[in-house]
Amino acid sequence: MIKALLGAAFALSAVGSASAQTLNMMKGIDAPHYDAQRTTWGPTSDIVNMIQDTLVALDWDGRTPIPYLAKSWTVSPDGKLYTFKLRDDVSFCSGKKMTAEDVIFTFKRLKSPEIKGPYAWRAGNIKELRAPDPYTVEYELNEPYSELLLQLTMFTNAILNKDNVEALGKDYGVKGADGTGPWCLESWQPRTNITLKRHDAYKWGPSMYKNKGPVKFEKMVIKIVPEDSSRVAAMMAGQFDTTHQFPSQFIAQAKVSPMLTVTEAKPNFQLLYFGFKTTRPMVADKRVREAMSIAIDRGAIAKAILLGNADPAFTIVDAAALDHDPKTAGIVKQDVERAKQLLDEAGWKPGADGIREKDGMKLAPKVYYTANANSARVAEAIQGYLRKIGVHWNLQPWDSTIASVKMAEQDYEIWSVTVPYLSAGDLMNIYFDSANIPTPNRMNWKDAETDLWLKQGRAALTPEDRAKFYAMVQQKVMTEHLWMPVLNINMHEVTNKKLKGMRPHMIYQNTFYKGLDASF
Amino acid sequence: MSVEAIGSAVVDSAAVGRSHVLRRLMRDKVAATATVVLSLIVLGAIFAPLISPYDPYFTDLTIVMQPPSAEHWFGTDNTGRDILSRVIYGTRNTLMLGLIGVLVGGLLGGFLGILAAFYPRLDGWIMRLVDVMLAFPAILIGLAVAAIFGAGLAAVVIALVVATVPDVARVARGAAVGVMSQEFMEAGRAVGVTDSTLIWRYLTLNCISTIFVFLTLRFGQIILIGSALGFLGMGAQPPTAELGMMAAQGRDFLFMAPHIATIPSLAIFVIVLAANLLGDALRDVLDPRLQQ
Repeated sequence: MIKALLGAAFALSAVGSASAQTLNMMKGIDAPHYDAQRTTWGPTSDIVNMIQDTLVALDWDGRTPIPYLAKSWTVSPDGKLYTFKLRDDVSFCSGKKMTAEDVIFTFKRLKSPEIKGPYAWRAGNIKELRAPDPYTVEYELNEPYSELLLQLTMFTNAILNKDNVEALGKDYGVKGADGTGPWCLESWQPRTNITLKRHDAYKWGPSMYKNKGPVKFEKMVIKIVPEDSSRVAAMMAGQFDTTHQFPSQFIAQAKVSPMLTVTEAKPNFQLLYFGFKTTRPMVADKRVREAMSIAIDRGAIAKAILLGNADPAFTIVDAAALDHDPKTAGIVKQDVERAKQLLDEAGWKPGADGIREKDGMKLAPKVYYTANANSARVAEAIQGYLRKIGVHWNLQPWDSTIASVKMAEQDYEIWSVTVPYLSAGDLMNIYFDSANIPTPNRMNWKDAETDLWLKQGRAALTPEDRAKFYAMVQQKVMTEHLWMPVLNINMHEVTNKKLKGMRPHMIYQNTFYKGLDASF
Repeated sequence: MSVEAIGSAVVDSAAVGRSHVLRRLMRDKVAATATVVLSLIVLGAIFAPLISPYDPYFTDLTIVMQPPSAEHWFGTDNTGRDILSRVIYGTRNTLMLGLIGVLVGGLLGGFLGILAAFYPRLDGWIMRLVDVMLAFPAILIGLAVAAIFGAGLAAVVIALVVATVPDVARVARGAAVGVMSQEFMEAGRAVGVTDSTLIWRYLTLNCISTIFVFLTLRFGQIILIGSALGFLGMGAQPPTAELGMMAAQGRDFLFMAPHIATIPSLAIFVIVLAANLLGDALRDVLDPRLQQ
């Protein structure tokens, strides 16, 4: 089988013959466009992080914003005014110098009704943007936003070239996208390949990299290879230098392969969870939700289903993430007998076929998820566990092309997604604020206390206050068992051994991030 | 000639050799083997709950991807389920899908084909409809149905029926046109036999053996299409065992545990081969032209 796959890999279009100055990357999926402000789409974000930069970068620890296009900043005592001092030596790939005008244009565009930026909230509630001089930006908010700097590291807040966006109009992100990043977008053949070239003037790499720029390669060719087995074979045959989309079930093979190196992003916040729609009668009772959550063996699922490429998640927020509340650690503990007892107490009694019933209704919740390998396998494993306590999960995987539409219909009791996040506040503000009902608050969780604490956390002026309010939210949503956290999925960068200096980043599954230290 | 006389002539003609079918099948070694294998498979599927060594839905994550052993003859899958038990239950579902596809599709297709032959004014309309149906590959229909209504056995059944109808309609029409030119049909009309009696009693009964032979040949293909849809995730959903889906689940573990994908694939191979061989043999036995 391995020989056959290797043979198939050699038959793939030859990229190995390309120049040694070309870095060959492989992705499993392409993006519909590369306009960062109009999407939440991961396949857009990794390319955007290569070709464009943010005011602040996220350090390797996944929680510290560090200077990038902004060399320094100050925050007013009321937490509403951020004054960013920009570097004066930054230019776009087109050669134009980056100034405060581009920064202000970027955030005004992000907030404009025409763009309808799905992640516009990450830039805070902006009152006014001012440029006292070409390299100073005054960023004034209507209310304090304690996580603004952390959120500004996200790809959706990358700084755009005003002239380029205006010149391209609706074609921006499709026919071109200028940026200040270490790589420049040269060409894009949708669903086939993306070619980037070195940004020769780039010398403003963030302090987390040894190399401040430019990158060590003249070009990067990113080829789209959707089939898992083909990506495995191509990497093992040395056809590509790196990929961050190596199927998890083959990671063990990659680790022992003489020509591949596997590196894991640490820390890494990428939660695979199942959420309960609390307005559906079948899962409205928190005892039912808790029963399902404590009936599964997360350690066994991580080991057997993800083959060790995930860690069991007993809390919604990972212990290494900013503002994680350690008190939530003991809320979810596997206890099958207690799970059965909870269901008995909730009035669900075993039927003739072993599946519990109540008022003529079987405890068979509909479970929606996108049909990718991890979700499907994990859902099936949980289904097996829950049968043992008399619950039948009625699994309904949806193809990725239609999953978002079906999820939006909300005809389910439970759904699952895998979500990368930055911090406790990042995760909880998105999912648990009642303002976000029906989506992304798919639990339809409407709770005045939760909303108040989230607001207080967002507006906190000190890290201690922020942590306190977000801890209260974590305890609330965990004891209500609104989510069943299952796994924290590992992120890997698999590279050819000849490629040195690769350290995977955790931000939004963009392990390559800027790739400044990579070299042969 | 009375109606009864016409009827008895037709039925006698259709019944010729029927009592010898089984004996003639058994005389052909290949056909006999296929019959025995398929019978065993069908019996295994019917009595699945009695012969399965384990609960096919029982997961045990401590024994995932175990190779074949004395405890688990076909090994275990990626959630620690016994593959032999799942193959037995999967065969049941796969056969059921094939059977429903062939029976419902055969019924609809046969009805359309016979109507087209009997009523020339409908012939053009029905055959163009059949042409349109032939233009859609079954896999595409299955994908479309599953995308709209969700993956499941219903999507597969619809796809299989749609895949069966046009071919059967063409075959039935061809057979019926031949029967229509027979004297007893003209005689029936002459003595005032109603259309419904002519269609059912004379036309349909005389076409049944042709349609039946075609459906037996088609059965193997239908099972393959059903399994392909299962493989693509459009068919049975977990934990239901279905051979195509089981093969797909094993695909991701080909390096580590090749038995997870290969055993259900082999089961599909054996079923389809046996069905095709039996179909060929039945055609040889039932088709009077081949007998000559």
